Amino acid sequence: MKDPYEVLGISRTASDSEIKKAYHDLVKKYHPDNYVNNPLADLASEKMKEINEAYDTVTRERPGQRGRQSRPSYQRENDYRSDASYRAESYQSRRDDQGSQSDNHASYTRARAYINASQLDAAESILIHVVNRDAEWYYLKGVIAYRRGWLDLARQNYQTACAMVPGNYEYQNALRSVQSGYTPYRQQNYGASDMDAACDLCNALLCLNCLCGGCR
Amino acid sequence: MFGYVRPRTDRLTEAEQEVYREAYCGLCRALGQQYGFFARFLVNYDMSFLYLLRASMRAPAPVRNCWCPGRVCGKKSCTVDPEGFETVAACTVILCMEKLRDNVCDEGFFRSLPHRFLCLLYRRAYRRAAERLPAFAALTAGQLETLRELERENSPSIDATADSFAKIVAGCGADLEQDSIRRPMEQLLYQIGRFLYLADALDDLREDCKKRAYNPLRFRFSPENGELSQQELAYLTQLTDASVNLAGSALALLPLRANGTLLENTVYLGMPSVFAAVKAHKFRAKAGLLPRGTRRKQTYQMQKGETHERSL
Repeated sequence: MKDPYEVLGISRTASDSEIKKAYHDLVKKYHPDNYVNNPLADLASEKMKEINEAYDTVTRERPGQRGRQSRPSYQRENDYRSDASYRAESYQSRRDDQGSQSDNHASYTRARAYINASQLDAAESILIHVVNRDAEWYYLKGVIAYRRGWLDLARQNYQTACAMVPGNYEYQNALRSVQSGYTPYRQQNYGASDMDAACDLCNALLCLNCLCGGCR
Repeated sequence: MFGYVRPRTDRLTEAEQEVYREAYCGLCRALGQQYGFFARFLVNYDMSFLYLLRASMRAPAPVRNCWCPGRVCGKKSCTVDPEGFETVAACTVILCMEKLRDNVCDEGFFRSLPHRFLCLLYRRAYRRAAERLPAFAALTAGQLETLRELERENSPSIDATADSFAKIVAGCGADLEQDSIRRPMEQLLYQIGRFLYLADALDDLREDCKKRAYNPLRFRFSPENGELSQQELAYLTQLTDASVNLAGSALALLPLRANGTLLENTVYLGMPSVFAAVKAHKFRAKAGLLPRGTRRKQTYQMQKGETHERSL
């Protein structure tokens, strides 16, 4: 097993707050939201597990922290399921909820299983034989394209799926992943330029206010 | 290559800028040592990034003052890592040679004469590089043939055309053995390859429209006088942003031991800045065979730590 301090990127003399900060930063970095539909979601999930174990070990080792398990509840590894949306059960329950009359259920279940196993050609060959192409069909075609890195095609398919079933969270979430060019980690660490511009504007307005006698 | 993958130097510390410069000069030196003096002219920012990426998972290589042909007298500090530069230098030679061959195919006889001459000049270097990386040389030749086929068909799919090029770039990381490293590396390089292809296509769009030459954006969108509409540009930017995100998510999974900030800067800040410059027609660094003065000027500006936009 790796050194837990090395996993968290902290020294052995780090304070409790430093440990917590390092842990929170890593959680933000490897959060499953950053790996939705991503072919590397399984590796991110493993990394998350490693970080959680390291945090547990470090906090257990700290003096006066015996038996403590204070990892915030939203960071439990059970919350991080990679690509949970591909599970056949979730598809089944959604299908039941929507009362869909689709005859393609068996094909879609098999296609999802192949996507889960990263066998994209096999999943695609199943979809080719589906005659009645509904929103789910376009969504799965989009997922296959996304996993291959064909982002234009993925986006077109996601858009069709969303247009056919506008209220579906899974389809909308997938579309957002190719549409917005946004990840929380990136926004936090490297998206500061827009914020800087906003701050500059605020500063300029404040200065203008002072110059116009607003600070009397 | 193209020089599109570079960091935002204004957001780097002095030490990080130094590391980047040393890697660039180290690659130039390695090309000269392994493939002859003229191979030094093939050095470019994209391949410097590839070296830094691969080297960041190993212990840091030593730095030494070395002779630089760009300076009449005096030396420059450069990374000395023969083993680390071996693959990157071979990839550089193979990619540049294939680009020259591609230019020979695209141009008429007289216009392609300079490229034909350069092909002759680099043929030995290419042969040696292909012996070192036979699988990569075969992959590059095969994918470029697929790309030419798509161009002949006037394919409107930017995914299919970008895929061929992206697979070549991803091939630069295919030699890594450990699965947990190779997979993120391939995804990172694939998305960078996709970005490179789209940025280059946008950069060339005006010229291609004028010459009526193939450009995937010409057939995917409806450019007027070589210009895409604001909506089309916004759509394309979202696609490249998605590539940047996928590349960044892959980078986060690599076990980096050094240069993490430099690499993240290149992916999250450098690449979007370069694309913004291409959109604004401010990017003019073309191909791996940059005029010597241009490349030196860019390097000089980078040393000065000026902002990326200014340096373009």
